[in-house]
Amino acid sequence: MTKLSEGAIEALAKGSACNDCVLQLVNIRKIDGANGPPRFRVMMSDGRHTLSSFMLSTQMNCMAEENLLAPNCICLLKKHVTNILKDGRRVVIILEIDVIKPAQDAGGKIGDPTPYTEGQTKAPQPAPVPESRLPLQPQNRNEAVNKGFNRDFGKKAPSAMPSTPGGGSKVVPIASLNPYQSKWTIRARITNKSSIRTWSNSRGDGKLFSMEIVDESGEIRVTGFNQEVDKFYGLIEVGKVYYISKGSLKIANKQYTSVKNDYEMTLNGESTVIPCDDGCDVPMMQWDFVSIGDLENRDKDAILDVIGVCKSVDEVTRLTTKTNREVSKRTLSLMDMSGKVVTVTLWGEEAEKFDGSGQPILAIKAAKLSDFGGRSLSASFSSTLMINPDIPEAYKLRGWYDKEGHTMDGQSLTEVKGAGGGGNTNWKTLADVKNEHLGHGEKADYYTAIATIVYLRKENCLYQACPSQDCNKKVVDQQNGMFRCEKCDKEFPNFKYRLILSANIADYGDNQWVTCFQESAEAILGQNASYLGQLKDSNEAAFDEVFQQANFNTFVFRNRVKLETYNDESRIKATVMDVKPVDHKDYSKRLIMNIRKLAAQ
Amino acid sequence: MAGILDVPKPRINCSMLSQYLNKAVCFVGCVEKVHPTGKTFSVSDGEGKSATVELNEPLEEELSGIVEVIGMVSNRGAIMATTYNMLRDEKGIPFDMELYNEALKVIHDFPQHYPFEVAASG
Repeated sequence: MTKLSEGAIEALAKGSACNDCVLQLVNIRKIDGANGPPRFRVMMSDGRHTLSSFMLSTQMNCMAEENLLAPNCICLLKKHVTNILKDGRRVVIILEIDVIKPAQDAGGKIGDPTPYTEGQTKAPQPAPVPESRLPLQPQNRNEAVNKGFNRDFGKKAPSAMPSTPGGGSKVVPIASLNPYQSKWTIRARITNKSSIRTWSNSRGDGKLFSMEIVDESGEIRVTGFNQEVDKFYGLIEVGKVYYISKGSLKIANKQYTSVKNDYEMTLNGESTVIPCDDGCDVPMMQWDFVSIGDLENRDKDAILDVIGVCKSVDEVTRLTTKTNREVSKRTLSLMDMSGKVVTVTLWGEEAEKFDGSGQPILAIKAAKLSDFGGRSLSASFSSTLMINPDIPEAYKLRGWYDKEGHTMDGQSLTEVKGAGGGGNTNWKTLADVKNEHLGHGEKADYYTAIATIVYLRKENCLYQACPSQDCNKKVVDQQNGMFRCEKCDKEFPNFKYRLILSANIADYGDNQWVTCFQESAEAILGQNASYLGQLKDSNEAAFDEVFQQANFNTFVFRNRVKLETYNDESRIKATVMDVKPVDHKDYSKRLIMNIRKLAAQ
Repeated sequence: MAGILDVPKPRINCSMLSQYLNKAVCFVGCVEKVHPTGKTFSVSDGEGKSATVELNEPLEEELSGIVEVIGMVSNRGAIMATTYNMLRDEKGIPFDMELYNEALKVIHDFPQHYPFEVAASG
């Protein structure tokens, strides 16, 4: 018969640390909150006393939901934290518990426990809990709660521990935070800090920032608004450890975060953030790495952690978003021991400052999985990038790559399902484009092909456009020396020439008509639009010569294809997004790789 | 016998020389050492192995970088050059010997797709 840790209830009720005690579950009750996950309230017995103020932490809810925690079962309480409510009552939050004997095998209630009340300690049993009654971990007896935690979670107990600066509330693990308590301090490392974002709507405007913090027990997302931005933003540095207290907790909105916590914290006027100098025992970052080979089995838009060798890096490029904002973008190839390679896109500042020289190990926290061109990853503003992180996985990977990994070709997850469009390159022959019906789907398809100009239509390749900076609208010649732009609703004495060039391009298998706008047409013709406009008006022969010279040149085309319907007639419209000279080395490498791949099939 | 310029000249590297004794070949390599007499020089291939090229007439120019040599392979495995051509960097892009060697291997691994009598002679 299992022996209960007699006296443990009393110790717990008094807030003493009492770990690994054996208790019998007397009763369990589900409390449905207004929002968020349900909580379970538990009554426990040590054979002598019962105590009903146990709460199951939400991450342990599954044990109750699966009926593992049923009345009479014998449990080993492994980790807990005691919270003091405003009225002075103590609540024991169960962080980790094992069922060592299920309810049906326990043989009913053990002993004849009576409900524990505060007064009992003084009168009938004045002595402190004797050591013998806590056989499993007597050395923990009567230590302060925060000391107990330090033991549980810290790798080593620093000499001057979490007695919080400025006194007051005790240091608790992040995992124990909940909206029902307010007096706490956590000691956590900042793993990610956003930039300051502003909003402006009908209810006014403001600013906010968010950060992610971690300790041994878990992680949580923290947001600060307006005044708290001014107060704390400058103080907080990523990677450093801080004491944080008195934030407001609420149910996390999982839509915006991948942080594994049911709650999130908002800093308020009472919150304090104080740097902690001795924080080396607080973990750097919590990783949950997914093998690159497993990415294909994950859902689109999943947020996950990956680590890999940065096999190659592309140059940074700039592009304009729908909202007319310019952003920097950089793609790189990441490979891990699965031998699979995935394309990762970095944005903004991360893209600009990323240095991929020397094939570093790159760990990304909270990358977003996309099904763009097969499988690819995107490091968004909430992701954290670490180059050559000081973690065992990184060293293991480095060793593997230097020894054998570097010789592997690495099969790319990106663009293997290339027909789906998108991706970074999506190499196709012109025959592939037709056979695979690219552009027939809902969305436009993009592909890259090496092709040769076989015909350029020089008729109507130039038009007179509005001279305003960002307006390229065709102007109407008023026949009085003025040109009118409908879009700007203005008349101008001049116009600028712009190109809209129809070209027929061919490779070994097929050909296709494509439309080239300004930049791509200039690249093909090797002349700028205004010069061509001048030539057209002044020297027809020279103008023709430009087109003759441009014929039969070969380029790398990045094309967009989409089925468009005019007057009930549907046809594929192909637009050239980008024209680049052929990199023969790169082209040869790809051809050789494709030949070897085909031969292996 | 037909002139060397009229017969197929398979592209080979050093390790293939022994299979082409007394046959016409085309060899692309990097000039290593030129003999003081100017009648012979050594070239290395994309695998780092060296071969000797022998000329009928002494060189009339300074030789360096990448050369393409057309000639017969002697019994000793030297290339008796009929003609050669220096390949200069194109627009600053150096000739990639390793990549060329990979392409060579493709040609020899799939003779059915490169029917320039490689199959017959190899």
